[in-house]
Amino acid sequence: MSEKEKRSAGGLKIAFEHSSKMGMSKKRRIGGTVKTILLLILAVIWLIPILWLLVTAFSAYPGMSRTRFFPENWTLDNFARLFFRPDSILQYVRWFWNTLVISIFTCIVSSIFVLMVSYAFSCMRFPGRQGMIRVSMILGMFPGALSMVAVYFIMKSIGLTNSHVGMVVVYSAGSGLGYLIVKGFMDTVPASLREAAKMEGANELTIFFKVMMPLCRPIIVYQVISAFLGPWSDFMFARLMLNSGLSKDWTVAIGLYNMLDKSLIGQNFSAFCAGGLVISIPIAILFVIMQKYYVEGVTSGSTKG
Amino acid sequence: MAEEVKKKKKSFAETSFAWYFRELGEAVVRGDWAVKGSLLVMGTGFLARKQILKGILVTLVQLAYILCLIFYSLPYLSKFGTLGTVEYQDPKLNPLTFEVEQFPYDNSFLILIHGIVSIFIIVVFLLFYIHNLKQAYALQCAKEKGKPVNSFRQDLQQMLGNKFHLTLLSLPTIGVVLMNILPLLVLIAIAFTNYDKLHMPPGALFTWVGGQNFADLFGGSLSLTFGYAFGKVLVWTLLWAVMATFTCFIGGILLAMLINSPGVKFKKTWRTLFVIAIAVPQFVTLILVRNFFADQGIFNQICQDLGILDLCRKLGLVSPSASFIPFLTDKNWTKVMIILINIWVGIPYQMLIATGVLMNAPKDQMESARIDGASKWQIFRKITIPYILVVQGPALITDFVRNINNFNVIYLLTQDVYITQDPGMYKSNAKEVDLLVTWLFRLTQEEQNYKMASVIGIIVFIISVVFTFISYSRLMKGGREEDYQI
Repeated sequence: MSEKEKRSAGGLKIAFEHSSKMGMSKKRRIGGTVKTILLLILAVIWLIPILWLLVTAFSAYPGMSRTRFFPENWTLDNFARLFFRPDSILQYVRWFWNTLVISIFTCIVSSIFVLMVSYAFSCMRFPGRQGMIRVSMILGMFPGALSMVAVYFIMKSIGLTNSHVGMVVVYSAGSGLGYLIVKGFMDTVPASLREAAKMEGANELTIFFKVMMPLCRPIIVYQVISAFLGPWSDFMFARLMLNSGLSKDWTVAIGLYNMLDKSLIGQNFSAFCAGGLVISIPIAILFVIMQKYYVEGVTSGSTKG
Repeated sequence: MAEEVKKKKKSFAETSFAWYFRELGEAVVRGDWAVKGSLLVMGTGFLARKQILKGILVTLVQLAYILCLIFYSLPYLSKFGTLGTVEYQDPKLNPLTFEVEQFPYDNSFLILIHGIVSIFIIVVFLLFYIHNLKQAYALQCAKEKGKPVNSFRQDLQQMLGNKFHLTLLSLPTIGVVLMNILPLLVLIAIAFTNYDKLHMPPGALFTWVGGQNFADLFGGSLSLTFGYAFGKVLVWTLLWAVMATFTCFIGGILLAMLINSPGVKFKKTWRTLFVIAIAVPQFVTLILVRNFFADQGIFNQICQDLGILDLCRKLGLVSPSASFIPFLTDKNWTKVMIILINIWVGIPYQMLIATGVLMNAPKDQMESARIDGASKWQIFRKITIPYILVVQGPALITDFVRNINNFNVIYLLTQDVYITQDPGMYKSNAKEVDLLVTWLFRLTQEEQNYKMASVIGIIVFIISVVFTFISYSRLMKGGREEDYQI
């Protein structure tokens, strides 16, 4: 990363500094200070809500304080409430478990689907390939948000609403359409590698597992993490499908949303923040790792081509 | 040039279409007894060439299909034209047997869904049937020419060899059919029925009404409420999509350039700080932000203490008697706030992407422009911006379409908080700040008005597709991206 950083900085230097060499360092230093201050202000704006989430999670006052940004009394009780004192609405551990199970299965199914489709579209040539790619692009344009009602009915007619199996199906069945990034990566792997393997008598299955999978490691990591994160951050489909009103069925997203119902916000706001914080930490870590692998995957392609 | 390509494409499509049926005709006419036998019992062709297992399998599929047709498809398809005629009746006590009896009744919705599934299965089976015939004929030809016929094991091996794509694509395709194509068909079908609160299965039947819903929306009985709301929501949806896409796009580039510019240290740390804000799931941050800006929330208190509330009163931004700034409860305030909050959500993403794009910017072009004496601004305007537009063009289009359907931001910020004051909007269950998608969602969740929701869904789909196609063809014209390929 650091090397790329240098490269980019070097490249951008050309765009930014080309005035006279005289007095440049002084000018640059002043410009740098101004820019840093500007960045600092922006960063504060971007982080205020996160900071608010962080401090309110430790607030002893259960509701939303109108007058204080930082809580008056600090406590860990909100976390204790989440983990050890579930009630008819708040069943955080249960929600966490539900979401974890759903996302693990979704992750497995959709990662396999995406890898399969990507390999077929990237590494194989067969009649109808172009047509399928075109159709998949049009289908991909059709937003899930629109068909969700029909999805709900179809799931209802086979009895899979309010069920976690149903959620996994909803999240992963259509995932084959999300092949673009992985296929883009596979496109950069030289065909000669596959040709060589074929000359040695390997069939496509072997090439898939022994040649492509090891080469695609960064983009596979990216794909796996993003597939895993999908259910954690989905709100829409969970809201639609898990409508029984039974807290034990909910995912974290729905649970946290329902916790802040108008009548409950006075007693639940701090607990909501604690819950939001607990779920955010692993997600944020995974997200940052995913970004790293994404950059790695996308940029390493150009050197291989 | 483009004309020629089009013509070529068209003639290709025509020939391949014609080819498909010519091959079929040839197979039927020139096929021997075994091929013709496949017309009746599908396995015949394979069995005759000693592909026993394959022949049995294919025949079993045929058998299964026939059973499926008789016991599953026909009962639904026979009622598909009317979507059912027998109304539901409450269970009655039979005076003779003293047992509570439930009379059989039709469920329009099940008839609709299973009818569509049945038609789908019929089409798939027909394709399979034709393919099978051609295969049988191909076998015959191979036999005549003395070519060896694959054993079943060889066939299986092919599925892992040069026909591996069939193995790879079959499961994902089934998934896509189930989750994308089928819902699409159901959605389109519902738009042509009267499925709403008054016609809810199983209690009541619904039926086909043709284009009635579309006619009602544009100038018919519903145009005063629904047409009115539709116009308003559509305008806001497009305005929102344009604003959301461009503010985040430009903001992202500016932020990336600011972080990348010389004199700024700890570039990676800065980037991470911004990424943290988007790493927290949206349903947490957005609900948090909405409470931050609530009428009785902490930000209003701050504004009051700092005199911003008074300032707004003086400027006429809030009514003189207001005791708070209606950030998320007044229609104009809310629209501005939604766009601002979306900038907050969207810029870090765009910053990450723009950083990557700028890394690969054409440095030699910039260098030579610099040597020729171009100014910073000129280089930025004439090289950097066109470069970014070419690279990011397709992504911009996708972003635009995604913003048209940005459910999360709108729903999480305004649901249960924003209440419309406009009776016309209220009657059609819409709000001024709704996008077409959120309106659609609430129509189904709160009003069970499925027919109008489906109509809206179809319209949004058409808008998205038309927009995407127009802009793609514009972008791709001239193939400008090659200018920047290194």
